[in-house]
Amino acid sequence: MRTFEFTRASDPAAAVRAGAQAKTAQQGADVRFLAGGTTLLDLMKLNVETPARLVDINRLPLGAIEAMPDGGLRVGATVRNSDLAYHPTVERDYPVLSQALLSGASAQLRNMATTAGNLLQRTRCMYFRDTAMPCNKREPGTGCPGATGCWPSSGPASTASRATRRT
Amino acid sequence: MADDAPARRPDLTRRAFLTAAAGASAASALAGCAPTSLAAPRAAAAVDDPPTAGAVPVTLRVNGKEQRIRVDPRTTLLDCLRETLLLTGTKKGCDHGQCGACTVHVSGRRVNSCLSLAVMHDGEEITTIEGLGEGYLGEGLGTPEALHPMQAAFVAFDGYQCGYCTSGQIMSAVALLGEPCGPEDADVKELMSGNICRCGAYPNIVAAIQRVRRGA
Repeated sequence: MRTFEFTRASDPAAAVRAGAQAKTAQQGADVRFLAGGTTLLDLMKLNVETPARLVDINRLPLGAIEAMPDGGLRVGATVRNSDLAYHPTVERDYPVLSQALLSGASAQLRNMATTAGNLLQRTRCMYFRDTAMPCNKREPGTGCPGATGCWPSSGPASTASRATRRT
Repeated sequence: MADDAPARRPDLTRRAFLTAAAGASAASALAGCAPTSLAAPRAAAAVDDPPTAGAVPVTLRVNGKEQRIRVDPRTTLLDCLRETLLLTGTKKGCDHGQCGACTVHVSGRRVNSCLSLAVMHDGEEITTIEGLGEGYLGEGLGTPEALHPMQAAFVAFDGYQCGYCTSGQIMSAVALLGEPCGPEDADVKELMSGNICRCGAYPNIVAAIQRVRRGA
């Protein structure tokens, strides 16, 4: 894993300011918000994500599930999947949401993963996760082995990955 | 040397014995070479130690004991427990949150410690397999005489073969006792699906958990 600076946001506005310092919001962003960490740290171990700075948002007051006057439900960014799935209102009024959450991952991961993190989760494609392989999502323009087969016929990326894979 | 070891001495753990034995054999193999420090026990890094570059101070409450340490921000909770605090009961399997061998409790909830950074848990309560049961002696030592009921059930039902996944299985199973879970074996299997056992001890694991849940 690459080195990074670990910071903790004092309030949501500070977190937004810290995030705004990243040169991009998505691919290759050098500032990432850290909540459950179940996808981000996984990808950082693989060097797919290489942020220079992590902003821990776990202690921000974003963990509430609130009924709204119009009948809707407001779910905080750091509400854990398990807390959302087992919330009485969700179980009663949004059973599909509850069942969908409980169908995903494991009990441990559901205790960690957050609602906002779900929305930001990256693809689970094995080519995306493998930096020895080309991937249009990870490096736009390099190709997609999922569409063309594992061993694309040309290009420096494919040559490198072929060498890596055969040794 | 092994023949001289007493069957059970509370001050001698299997790990300490094996470490010393490995160090002794390495030392004899290297006879004539410069002295090595292979057998020297590693000391847990305390906050008073000289800070390593980039390390940040963290205070964890592990198994009821406050631990003030300095860690590289990249250190996972798993590596912090194993390498810094020398609590090696928690195991590293896949290191990607898929196998469950690293399961510990953070503030009473089970999590995969491999997908969490130690610095995220400043001030939080961590429980590892060493902290289960009434026999916890501190310093990473439990006692086989006072097991948690789940630990005793795993022994009684032979809920393991090689044992590598067992601490994660037990930590998961203990947390399951406090989670919404239906009465059937299938419900237990579903909620234990985050813990993989390569030996396939699943039937006995489920039996052990059900025995504890039914209070029999």
